Amino acid sequence: MLKHNPSFIERIAEKLHLIENLHKEESVELPRLTEPGELTDYPPPEQWDNWTEYEAKSGLRRKARNYMIIPTTCFNCEAGCGLLSYVDKETMRVRKFEGNPYHPGSRGRNCAKGPATINQINDTDRILYPMRRKGKRGAGEWERVSWDEVLDDIAAKIRAALLEDRRNEVVYHVGRPGHEGFMDRILQAWGVDGHNSHTNICSAGARFGYAIWQGADRPSPDHGNAQFIFLISAHLESGHYFNPHAQRIIEGMMNGAKLAVMDTRLSNTASMADYWMPSYPGSEAAVLLAIANILIRENLYNEEFLRNWVNWRESLKELNPNAEVTFENFTAELEKLYAEYTPEFAEAESGVTAVMIEEVARQIGRAGTRFSAHNWRSAGSGNLGGWAVARCLHFLNVLTGSVGTVGGTLPSAWNKFKPKGFSTPPAQKFWNELHFPLEYPLSHYEMSFLLPHFLKENRGRLAVYFTRVFNPVWTYPDGFTWIEALSDEQKIGMHIALTPTWNETAYFADYVLPMGHASERHDLTSYETHSGMWISFRQPVLREAARKMGKNVKFTYEANPGEVWEEDEFWFELSWRIDPDGELGIRKHFISPYRAGEKITIAEYYQYIFENTKGLPEKAAEENLSPLDYMRKYGAFEIEKAVYNKHLDSLSETELEGAEIDSENGDVRKNGKVIGVMIDGAARTGFNSPSRKQEFYSATTKDWGWAEYAVPTYVKSHIHPENLDASKNEIVLVPTFRLPTLIHTRSGNAKWLAEISNRNPLWMHTSDGERWGIKTGDLVRVSTDIGYFINRAWVTEGMKPGVVACSHHIGRWRRAQDAKNNRWSTNQVTIEEVESGKWKMRVVEGIGAYKSSDPDTSRIFWTDGGVHQNITFPVHPDPVSGMHCWHQKVTVEKAHSGDKYGDVFVDTKKSFAIYKEWLAMTRPAPGPNGLRRPLWLARPLRPTDEMFYVENSNT
Amino acid sequence: MNYGFIIDNRKCIGCHACTVACKAEHEVPVGVNRTWVKYIEKGTFPDTRRLFSVMRCNHCADAPCVEICPVTALFTRSDGIVDFDSRRCIGCKACTQACPYDALYMEPDDHTAAKCNYCTHRVDVGLEPACVNVCPEHAIISGDMDNPTSEISQLLAREVVQVRKPEKGTKPKLFYIDGDNASLDPTETNPDTDYMWSSQSSGVGHYAKFAERRVAESPLKEETAAQKSNFVQIEPRKKARRVYDAPNKGVLWGWEVSAYIWTKAIAAGAFLVPILGGYFMEVPESINRVGVIIAFVFLAITGVLLIMDLGRPDRFLNVLFRPQWKSWLSRGAYIITAYGGLLTLWLLASFLGFGNVLKYIEPFGIVFALLSAVYTAFLFAQAKGRDFWQSPMLGLHMLIHSLMAGFAVFLLANLFVKMNVGLLLALSFLTIITLIFHLITLAIELITTHTTDDAHATVKMITSGEFSRAFWFGMILVGNTLPLILLFAGQIWALALAGVLILAGLYFAQHIWVKAPQRIPLS
Repeated sequence: MLKHNPSFIERIAEKLHLIENLHKEESVELPRLTEPGELTDYPPPEQWDNWTEYEAKSGLRRKARNYMIIPTTCFNCEAGCGLLSYVDKETMRVRKFEGNPYHPGSRGRNCAKGPATINQINDTDRILYPMRRKGKRGAGEWERVSWDEVLDDIAAKIRAALLEDRRNEVVYHVGRPGHEGFMDRILQAWGVDGHNSHTNICSAGARFGYAIWQGADRPSPDHGNAQFIFLISAHLESGHYFNPHAQRIIEGMMNGAKLAVMDTRLSNTASMADYWMPSYPGSEAAVLLAIANILIRENLYNEEFLRNWVNWRESLKELNPNAEVTFENFTAELEKLYAEYTPEFAEAESGVTAVMIEEVARQIGRAGTRFSAHNWRSAGSGNLGGWAVARCLHFLNVLTGSVGTVGGTLPSAWNKFKPKGFSTPPAQKFWNELHFPLEYPLSHYEMSFLLPHFLKENRGRLAVYFTRVFNPVWTYPDGFTWIEALSDEQKIGMHIALTPTWNETAYFADYVLPMGHASERHDLTSYETHSGMWISFRQPVLREAARKMGKNVKFTYEANPGEVWEEDEFWFELSWRIDPDGELGIRKHFISPYRAGEKITIAEYYQYIFENTKGLPEKAAEENLSPLDYMRKYGAFEIEKAVYNKHLDSLSETELEGAEIDSENGDVRKNGKVIGVMIDGAARTGFNSPSRKQEFYSATTKDWGWAEYAVPTYVKSHIHPENLDASKNEIVLVPTFRLPTLIHTRSGNAKWLAEISNRNPLWMHTSDGERWGIKTGDLVRVSTDIGYFINRAWVTEGMKPGVVACSHHIGRWRRAQDAKNNRWSTNQVTIEEVESGKWKMRVVEGIGAYKSSDPDTSRIFWTDGGVHQNITFPVHPDPVSGMHCWHQKVTVEKAHSGDKYGDVFVDTKKSFAIYKEWLAMTRPAPGPNGLRRPLWLARPLRPTDEMFYVENSNT
Repeated sequence: MNYGFIIDNRKCIGCHACTVACKAEHEVPVGVNRTWVKYIEKGTFPDTRRLFSVMRCNHCADAPCVEICPVTALFTRSDGIVDFDSRRCIGCKACTQACPYDALYMEPDDHTAAKCNYCTHRVDVGLEPACVNVCPEHAIISGDMDNPTSEISQLLAREVVQVRKPEKGTKPKLFYIDGDNASLDPTETNPDTDYMWSSQSSGVGHYAKFAERRVAESPLKEETAAQKSNFVQIEPRKKARRVYDAPNKGVLWGWEVSAYIWTKAIAAGAFLVPILGGYFMEVPESINRVGVIIAFVFLAITGVLLIMDLGRPDRFLNVLFRPQWKSWLSRGAYIITAYGGLLTLWLLASFLGFGNVLKYIEPFGIVFALLSAVYTAFLFAQAKGRDFWQSPMLGLHMLIHSLMAGFAVFLLANLFVKMNVGLLLALSFLTIITLIFHLITLAIELITTHTTDDAHATVKMITSGEFSRAFWFGMILVGNTLPLILLFAGQIWALALAGVLILAGLYFAQHIWVKAPQRIPLS
């Protein structure tokens, strides 16, 4: 510790009171955690209940503050990284968030959004109390109500819907889940097919591509041990699961792995790559198949894996029914099938050079089983047939035998924990066609973005509609159609927005209910961040701090700021009130497993889960803690350190009872289903596909009308150059790239994130700028099929010529009547329906400094809040995967006179027509046996198998 | 023990977690940063790359901010960390000029200087800095470079590293692995107000107070080139482009500083001219008195301006009572205090009838007048961030300026306090010589003495860029050429006008010399 020695003059002057005496205070000297010269990362958990450190702002006065360090889980994306919150014991407020070293995924480190959580907690504009609208929906008038009123009102509406057999009118629509299995229990307890999500504007494309191979719908790449890493994503800056993946990608690279990134834009990730493959959007599968072609031709594939784990016999029979069923004939078919995908062909489609494609292919071949690959959104979410990108990328994993291996790509399910709740309500006997309509039988998740169009077509209505951490008006395509639907009280009877901040969708709600952030709620998370398996606990830290100090709180909103609550408890209470006498059979699912007949508490809910988590009770016992107390203390638990090659696990004796083995192909069959595969004399569990193998030939795809896509193939995008009219100056817009500092809606009030990232100009290559006469900063008009937006240009060499791009974040707004909110990032706009279906939005005021109790609000130094582009996009539902194909055919030109920066115009009649066009591309159910959907394909909130048959669930 | 940093660019993904973790740890105000990430792009498609460089204090072994701080608010600890004590800081902002790396900012509420201090409050309990702790890639490495087994020592021993601006002699202790000059050299790219995902339309830090006053402007408003040219536009040699950067903190030594150098020149010159002149010819007492009174008044104004410029004028006494003797700001404070004391003494002696002691006071007066005139040149030389001020000619310039100021004062004063012909002739003659000498030294200064890019860029700004009008019209024409003509003309009014114009020209000179170098980006 430094002790300043004042000079003679200074000492005298201080004594004479001419200057402040800086040498009188005896500041406390705190003990060191380490020897001088050594530094450690975190205080040890033994000291977390009573940790003292110097307050940074007190500078050399070295004032000490006393904290309780309580772990929780970040809520700013789905990665669920660990956080430690520092609760000041004197003020009982959270001072800051750091990482949690006990979290096996994030390992004590976070992206910028983690520590920025404190901004969201302390935002002076945050919603602190439940609000109910006064006046017309969307008029912007609100009154504060009590949670009691809210619960009773909503419960009554739900109860009425259940009693009147309008079960499909009760819907929970989630943006960011951030929990495992919780809502499934709630909805199935109520007996409704009421789960809707955002997956089909997010990752449904890629996930379908993976699922059709192996059941598991996400890759879990083991980057840290890989030799070659291939990303069709931007995982060093965004995506699931950015932070934990980014850590391991770089670890892999520092250990010698090479990185290839296929991206039309120079992302930060592409900048770190050894190979930046700037593909024309939608051409990615052509490049992947050219790589496959090389692997096949040059014998770089893993024969053993192909022989044992690919359904090559069935594939061969379909591809060449006349050929003798030998493995060699299969590989010969493969070669024939992909012969047209030469590097030159791929170069012509994509612009990626044949030389680079060949080099990458050989590197992949050399990497063999240590090949980790990932397609998350990117091409999978942008293009018609985007799901084929993941299908073809995984094909490379299959060819190299790197599925499930060390350094390879594992099926996500192996690395993700599914908690066992204290009771499991039965699957619902309903099928909601507003979520899974007949036209999209293979849709990976719900056709959520078509909801307002379905409502327009009178396919149904919603009596009670929850939007939960979900902002479709802003984030989804065709937001004005959402505004039209939300404004119609006939179509949507009651709209309840569960959200931590105000947002564009909440403006059109009846109830706006504040739900807590990372440190203000309970959740359980588990994600496939690497080859291990873990759970992480999110807890309301102030409530936990109170409990540790002997003060037991009944409901989380008593401990949180204002009356901010949490969903878990809210749903428990709501469910209890829907069924006051238990008649509806709902209450019984909310009875405590520990206290007969009593309503379950939130602690008991998690207590049960933790008591039934493999290895956790034993680990907790080592410290004489109950499993719940262990999780409260450490916040996370590693269930498995590493899980590889689970497909090689042997079937158990019970599983094998009554099973028969097919001597030809080694299938282990029971009750008409394949349950495993004989490999090397043992019955192995295999993968989650119908054949328990990697399905090169997908019978499902053929059975459901898409025979041309049964094997991995290249699907030309809706914005393929063939579909663009160069003479009309049509070009493709890529509107989906993310920033490392933002997360859609809820980072809008994180000041430290907003000051770094606050505008979203239109990226274009120098050559495009030149031919349009546009320079950086110029106003441009970008016209889509249904409208236009006015933005500024960003001319750059970091963009592929012939493509323009704009960040998916930024461009937030509020109207004059809306509550002042997110003033770090929202423009103030006027919205006018100039003619029926023709909407005009204009920015009247940008972002500006304002006075509040936070001095930082007067320091806002930017005015540009960006431009809302998403709202000008029509829906593009992929007929196979149901994914919204984000890429837009646009024209870019200098702004017209009268155009102002931030202007938006949309014609919802046109967007409805385009919805119809894409609907016509579908090949609807019923499929084989009168099914709505293949039985083996996973479905969120899965109803009974019965309901999969059209005749049983005609609602 | 010797703490340093490594930024390992093989691993840094430019995610800004360090930026935010630091903000959270130190509650840093919006708009300023103790650490930030600069993004540049280089190359032509498809051979393009974006580079990320974490920027912050380098905890220099020979820290110019520590040397220049007049009150030891900045200091180097025995473990090598450069820390600061904001209780001592008077907000003189000299450190922001001394640091060649743009590491310091002025706190918008406290008006004291701040920077990365290696989280000494954490180090002192054995915790690593917050940025090191959060970084997803472990790309920021902290540790004791005196310990050969520490991670930082091992990396320094085995990897190729580089530092920012090694030629400054600051001995920075922050090392980049895989650094790239396009990013580390601030002159390789143009700073801007609009970047790939951010923009700046008003001040931060010291200038944050203006943000609120400004009505929230719609981004519809087109910015003028003048508004955007708060920076020098340097032609980049390579095709490198700055695509994200922390907001510009503005020009921190403003009109108060130019003004005080001007008033100080008058305060020195008004004394020197008559008193020194008195050794060579007969100078009446009344003239001397005029000079000393003017000197006294302008010295007082200088003091007021100095105090006004401080972020913490309430702590101005710190300069005298917490002196850091290496700093020319401290030395200067004592110099002008001593000078003021001598002037007071002279006035007391002269007006209270002790005229005989004046000849004992005057030599000291001359010494301190000279020192007062030129000490600022030494202060500017300590401002290692500003190459243009590292000129050996600067001291000579300031001396000449004070003589010019003195002459000008008397040319003007002649209207009110008549001087005899002989004196007037001598005055005119000396002024002419000095003006010519001034133009010569100016030419030498601008043509020959500046060797670095930054200095060259400053010269260009002055002679042909945004300060060219102030220079050619204000300094050369109005401040030197017209006076020369008027002096040759000889009439009383012409001489007086010449005096006014010389003083005006001197003000332009200080304005340019103080402001122009601050336009060169440091990071």
